[in-house]
Parts: sequence; structure tokens; C-alpha cells
Amino acid sequence: MKITVKLIGPFIYAAAFSEKEINIPEGSTIESLLSLVKLAESRPKVITRNGKAIAPGETLEDGDRVVISPLYSGG
Amino acid sequence: MLGWTGHMLRVNLSSRAAETETYGEEFAKKWVGGRGFAAKILWDELKPGIDPLGPENKFIVALGPIAGIPAPNTGKAVVAGKSPSTGGYGDGNLGTRVAEQLRRAGYDALIVEGKADRPTLLYIEDDRVEFLPADEVWGKGTYETNDWIYAKYGKSVGVLNIGQAGENLVRYAVVRSLEGRAGGRTGMGAVMGSKLLKAIVVKGTKAIPQADPAGMKKAGYDDLRRVHQIDKETGWSIQSTTGVLAWCNEVAALPVRNFRKTHHPDAWKCDGERLNNARIATYGCPNCTMRCGITIHDDEGRESELDYENIGLLGPNLEIFDLPEIGSLNYLCDDYGIDTMSGGCVLSFYADAVDHGAAPGDFRFGDAAAAKVLFAKIARREGEIGNILAEGCLRAARTFGHGSEDYAMQVKGLEVAAYNCKFIPGMALAFGVSPIGAHHKESWVITFELKQTSRDSYGPEKARKVIDLQRIRGGLFEYIVSCRFPWIELGWDLENYPKYFKLASGLDWTLDDFWTVSDRIYSLIKLFWLREYPRTNRRVDYPPAVWFDPANADTEGPIAGKVLDYDKYDGLLQHYYDLRGYDRRGIPTKATLERLGLAEEGKEAEAHSFLA
Repeated sequence: MKITVKLIGPFIYAAAFSEKEINIPEGSTIESLLSLVKLAESRPKVITRNGKAIAPGETLEDGDRVVISPLYSGG
Repeated sequence: MLGWTGHMLRVNLSSRAAETETYGEEFAKKWVGGRGFAAKILWDELKPGIDPLGPENKFIVALGPIAGIPAPNTGKAVVAGKSPSTGGYGDGNLGTRVAEQLRRAGYDALIVEGKADRPTLLYIEDDRVEFLPADEVWGKGTYETNDWIYAKYGKSVGVLNIGQAGENLVRYAVVRSLEGRAGGRTGMGAVMGSKLLKAIVVKGTKAIPQADPAGMKKAGYDDLRRVHQIDKETGWSIQSTTGVLAWCNEVAALPVRNFRKTHHPDAWKCDGERLNNARIATYGCPNCTMRCGITIHDDEGRESELDYENIGLLGPNLEIFDLPEIGSLNYLCDDYGIDTMSGGCVLSFYADAVDHGAAPGDFRFGDAAAAKVLFAKIARREGEIGNILAEGCLRAARTFGHGSEDYAMQVKGLEVAAYNCKFIPGMALAFGVSPIGAHHKESWVITFELKQTSRDSYGPEKARKVIDLQRIRGGLFEYIVSCRFPWIELGWDLENYPKYFKLASGLDWTLDDFWTVSDRIYSLIKLFWLREYPRTNRRVDYPPAVWFDPANADTEGPIAGKVLDYDKYDGLLQHYYDLRGYDRRGIPTKATLERLGLAEEGKEAEAHSFLA
């Protein structure tokens, strides 16, 4: 299935892309998607799926838009 | 007493008198500096009901015990007075060399009283105070004024100045310093203007008193390097604050079309990625190693410094997505000395009011050329519409009528910062209970709401988080007077601040000690509001009505069909009051005041309204 991954702020430069489609097997979880995006595990992240917060272990669906952001704090 | 100079400079523009006043350790430890000093001075010295734009108001510049000392990121000053936009306590902070220079001159605060008889430049060099004519730059913008000052005094002095908006008493005029950016969006530029005070220039040559100067120097410079290193490692300043724009657009928190919408397909055109690509230079405040000011060429070829708030409110909120056009609006606001946030909200409100037939004119969303013309009119209070809009959203709405107050995006008279809380209850609360009106600097909880709790929760955990952040952002950083960015954006350990405080003052305080000071200042500011508005009640802590209006709900996207719920918001507000020790009107109880050492202030407040 195809998942659109959108990175925010400095993650764009760390992973060397801003937005792209990633093909992953049906039934993949958010963790398996994250393993394909080169971002340090130690960096705190806010991850949303179609604009809503995602839970650990959540299963993705074809066409999902996943946004991975640093933990912004509102300036 | 170390860490503080123990002196304040009081200047009267009417009598052209200057006097150095001393204060003791008890005052220093109780109020620490910055916002704490300002709130206490204004409480003690202002008569209730005075005109914020009259000579009875005072303009205060206040610094803290680590202000101006090389350490992360101490080049900031607090400017304060009774707010022309809200009628309550008002302040703001800005990056400026005044922080270091005023302390080197021997003062922790400057109190300006009265009104000059002609446009004046106040020059302070150690013990020398001069009242110099500023007629030459009266009517000029802040860039030309700064250049004029630098040509006279060199670039090492500290400068605060105002543009045409401050001179013409625009209620959301700011104070500017090209050494940093702008501050005092509660109308502190208009307070300066009302006193015919065009600029303040400060030069100091003395040592800043410190308990352990060698230790402070080592820790300060080491930590400046470490903050710089963390910034490089994380890449934060590649987009600085503007990285959050794309995220807000994804999670339906971006202000679009006067906050009517929460996201827009063209928002990417003015996001942090595009801004970084267009960057021509980077600027920072004094003592900063994680510089956040990104400049681009605007559509007239001028250099304009952008951040998230001004892009959000001058861009998508006006349905303008072209960065050079946004840069141009930002440049004009900076030059006129108009607050970019309030300026953006005022124009978006006007476009919305025209759209709804509530206001005269043909201004429409997306019209950058017309927006430029309007800012020029506002800065000079030119014509009927320039004059109405110079009053801010709330007063303009009361003039226009037709229910437009519901979509005047403000709290207590101060326009909302660039976060659309149509369905973000905790952040709506943060705006609602901010002590100066709808400013994001006090508390910002959106990522907490999405990541660590449920977005649709109105539970006490959100009220608790708002208070925790108020203690740090609106408390510690505003009275110790240091930029919050190393902590908030790079995770710089909060425990570093008691460390700096100890090196400066010799006092061994815990963070809990600081939180008590934070709570004391917040409570005193509440009493200030109560004294000005004796019939105040919890309704003043509500965000704009349109965020509760089902007809304003998104029709698609992540929060389709959802808006804030009145009853639930009121419950969240009560959680906040309960945790703070406030009564049902949102006023600190007698017990709370006594616990915070405010019994005397409580007695004074009691003369204006009963305390529970």
C-alpha cells in the first residue's frame, strides 16, 4: 500500500526529503513505516495520521498521510 | 546584594528630572526583575482608571538578574505599562542591547513618567541623563530612526524606538530595536508615543554585579557554545519558528481567512521550507547562538525579517500565500512600528467584516496591495477607516456592530496569536487566561494536546499543563529576563537557570522557589485587572465566540464538524481556577494572596471589589 510521508522543519534536512510516497506491505504499523525514514530514534516526535494523533502500534491504511514533526513548542 | 544593581532610574519627561532610586534585597527576592518589577511598580504607582495614553501612565523598561550577562540568551528587555489595547496590565519583551547597556549604566529598571513638550530622545550614559530633541525623526519609520541614532552614537549603544504607529497612538504599536526585533504588542509603542518619547538610547560602562563573575563567565560562554552546537545538531534554526507552519496546516491549527479555516492547500507556498530557500541573511538578538531571524527580499526588494507569527497572521490569515508579498507587509509593520500579529488580525477582521456587510469598504482577503495601503492609513490614523482600525479588533467591532464582535479575534482586547484553536481546548484556555490578552508567549500546549492527551479532552491535565508552562514561559523567562528558546526549542535543561541565577546572585534557589515568584506575579497582575475592571468575571477569560460557533466548523479535514463546547470550556476554566487558587470569577482568593505574600495588595484590591 502507498503511504504519503510528510516531514516537518529540520526533519526534512535530516532525512533528505520533504514529502514522498512510500510503499509498505498491507497491515504495516506506524513503527514499520518509521523504520524506513532515517530519523534518529532519540529525537522526540509528534506523529499524526490524516491530521490526527497516532497511537503506538496503530495499523496504517492505503492512502494515509503521515506527518512526522519535531516536538514544536510554539516559539 | 549581588546579582542586582539595586538601582532604578526614574525619569520625568514633564519636568526633565532624573533620579536614581535604590531598592533592597527584599524587593529583589520577591519580584526578581523584568515582569515582576514592572507589575509591582505599576501596581504601586498607577491610579486605577488612568488613561493609558495620558501622562499619568508610566513606561517601564525592566531587566533581570542575568539580563545582559553573556549566557544563553540574555539580550532581552521587558517593556511595560498600562495597556492601551486592553486597559489592563501590559508588557512585552524584545531583543535589544539595552539589556546589557542599562545594566552597565547601573540600573535594573527605567521608569519613564510624564510627557515631553516636544519629540524627545532620552539619552542615558551611566549617571548622565539627557533630554534631546528628536523632531528630525518624528514622523519617520523605525529603520530610518535607528540609522539616525546609530549615525550619532555608533552601533554599540542600546536603542528602543517607535515608528509612526507609536507616534499616532495606534493601540497595538510596538517598541522596536534593530538589535533584536519588536516587543510590547500590548501597545507599549503607543505609550512611548503618548509621551512624545521617540527613542531611548543607553550606554553603560560599569561592571554588572555578580556573585561569581569568573564562574558566570565560564558557564555563560561554555553554554552559549553548547546551545549553538545543539542547534546545529538538531537543525532547528534552518527554519526556526517557521517550521511549525506546515505542521499547523496538517493538524488544522493554522489561522486562515480570519481564523475561519484551519488549513489551506496553498499554505506550503509560505512555509519554513520555502522561507529557508529564499533566505538572504540570518539575525539574532544579543547573546544568542541559535539565531531565529530569517530575512528575505520582499516584493519591493527590501530586506524583511520573518518568523512564524508574522507569516501566519499576515499571510494565510489574510489568504496571502506569496512570501515576498507577506515580507512586504511585515516590512511595513516593522517600519511603522505596528505589531505584526495584531496588524494581521485587524486586517483579517476587517476583510471578514466587509465580507459580512458589517463594515464599509471593498477590502478583500488576498489583496496584498490594499493591505499595504491600509497599514499606511492605520499608522497615520488616516481617514475614518484608518482611525477605526488603529483602535484594534475589539473597538473596531464595537464601531462596526452587526455582531462583528463575535469574529473579532481577540481576548481582553489583545488580538490572537497565530494558532487556530477552533478545536484545541487547552490552547484556547492558554489564550483565555493569558495575563495580557491572547498572546502565545505565556503558554503553548498544542503538541501536548495532540501527543500526550486527547485533542477533545477538557480535563484538568490541560489546565495543569497551561499553569506549568505559564510558570516557566510567562514567569521565569519574563522576570529573569532571558529568551525561552534554548529551553523550549532545543531542550536546554531548565535547571541551568537556577545555576545562572546562583552565579549572578549567590542565592541557591530551586525551581519551586521560582514557581512561587511566578504565581505571585500572575496573581498581582490579576489584581491589577480587578482594580481596573471591578466587575470582572470569568467571561473575560473566554476565547473569541466564533470558536464556539457550529456554523464555523470545518467542513472537511481532521476536525470537520467540530468546534469548542461552551460548557466544557467553562469546566476547563474552572479546573484552571481551582488549581490556581482563584475564585469563580477568576480572582485569587484571600488565602491564595496570603500564601503568595500578597496580603497587602489584597487589602488594596478589596477596596475595589470583594475577595473570596
